[in-house]
Amino acid sequence: LKGNIFVITSGKGGVGKTTTTANLGVALARLGKQVALVDADIGLRNLDLVLGLEKRIVYDVVDLAEGRCQPRQALIKDKRVAGLFLMPAAQTKDKESVSEAQMARVVHALGVDFDAVLIDCPAGIEHGFRNAVAGADEAVIVTMPEVSAIRDADRVLGMLGTRRARIVVNRVRPEMVRSGDMLSVDDVREILGREILGVVPDEEEIIDTTNRGQPVTLDSGRRLAALYMTMARRLLGEDIPALELGDDGLWNRLRRMVVGQR
Amino acid sequence: MSNDVREQPELIALPAPVETVSPPSEPVTEAASQSTAPTQPKEQRVRRRVPAAVKGRAIVITSGKGGVGKTTVTANLGAALADAGKRVVVFDADVGLRNLDVVMGLENRVRLHALDVLEGRCELDEALVRDRVRRNLALLPAAQNRDKDEIEPDDMNDLVDELTDTFDLVLIDCPAGIEQGFRNAVAGAGEAIIVTTPEVSAVRDADRVAGLLPHDMPARLIINRVRPGLVRKGTMMSVDDKEVIVATNRGRSVVDMPGSPTGQALRRIAGRLLGEEIPIVDLTEKKDWFSGMLSKLRFSQSKAAKG
Repeated sequence: LKGNIFVITSGKGGVGKTTTTANLGVALARLGKQVALVDADIGLRNLDLVLGLEKRIVYDVVDLAEGRCQPRQALIKDKRVAGLFLMPAAQTKDKESVSEAQMARVVHALGVDFDAVLIDCPAGIEHGFRNAVAGADEAVIVTMPEVSAIRDADRVLGMLGTRRARIVVNRVRPEMVRSGDMLSVDDVREILGREILGVVPDEEEIIDTTNRGQPVTLDSGRRLAALYMTMARRLLGEDIPALELGDDGLWNRLRRMVVGQR
Repeated sequence: MSNDVREQPELIALPAPVETVSPPSEPVTEAASQSTAPTQPKEQRVRRRVPAAVKGRAIVITSGKGGVGKTTVTANLGAALADAGKRVVVFDADVGLRNLDVVMGLENRVRLHALDVLEGRCELDEALVRDRVRRNLALLPAAQNRDKDEIEPDDMNDLVDELTDTFDLVLIDCPAGIEQGFRNAVAGAGEAIIVTTPEVSAVRDADRVAGLLPHDMPARLIINRVRPGLVRKGTMMSVDDKEVIVATNRGRSVVDMPGSPTGQALRRIAGRLLGEEIPIVDLTEKKDWFSGMLSKLRFSQSKAAKG
């Protein structure tokens, strides 16, 4: 195995798993990689909406798992960026309709053909979570600087076993960190005891682009796009220290705000 | 559909069955055919139709999508209903990922949980945690180190049934998703509140959940996190948002924060649940410069008071 299969998970819902999956996928594709995004949220799929590909679904991951179609029939090619593909979830089925072994087979097969496979995990720690995690080599834990999100992230970390897991701290509000009303990124790192993959500020731009099915990373001019590009490079194994990131100035500003200064 | 959603914040009736918010003693029409003697032993699935005078109402708070505010709504609605003089219990059905205790600031007082009751290790009364401030509000915590699959819908039904013997209102905090945990949380409920946000994915999931509820279960909708700024220009709601995060992190109720529009909205929702006729406030209407400034002022005052 190439170790290129990542599950994007969180425990708590609504922290931004799907948005993170979509944007990391776009970023990896923009770096020239062949990327497959797998929506594992059977019954409550949303990755297709966030990518704006909902009208092009023919077959889904359940069809593939049960042998009703070939991978390339189910995969939807994103025409906006070369190398990006979506494996949609079924909407009318149950999470129980796929087993962990079936799911693992599907993602392993994709892992052979693609440089990277990102699995969008459902919220919770039930059957759907176990399915999504089954074939993954590594995990990306999306969390927010909020007590319940961190508690759930910690619970999920405990269920991931020995897999490498890196943290995306999402929806950071620097002004609230400064006023002491929100945990800082350092607090999160300390509590969860894992490497930070990236930090994303809470901006309405994200909600807006997500609602329109147009991931922010598609537009290299956006400030947030640079953050996802950096995270993607870290995922690929590049060692990019947080401090030398200053390509957009945002990180430095964020860092000053988060770490606190006069 | 999404347009309607944006313009109608707060609690509105879903298109399907509009609930008759009648006092529990007034018989519900569908129940007429069922035997309803209060002395009757525990029933199986038809329990939620029993309108016996002593029975409280059991309402499941659900959403499909996570992170839309189920737990926050449950905690605050519980507080507001308790303030209206009702005996209220909030029941955390998110086994394995419980958070209602944290949001209510009661995490250090949790000793036993619902599974302890179900498995006969303690009595229901022993597992209940009373709220710090409100004597008529209690929490039934979930187990943290167990699985949702360890409970059956029938067990939940029995447990909720027992709770309705002593409480006027049982609010069940449902986990995200539509798996076993969801089915368990819905099992004991007689009504549902679906929480959603004005985002495509949240609305899609809410729609899916509405379709999965028992067809005869009255369901109503709460539109949470309305940011008129995204609908129109203006930033009032993001100010208001912050109060919710701060309150939630500190285990306080936003209904207790003076001047919080969210707290006021939740009190109005509580009133509607109890049968009062309270019109829906159109948040996008007041988006002028003046009220924006006013709410900012209020926010800085409440901050100053805290500091």
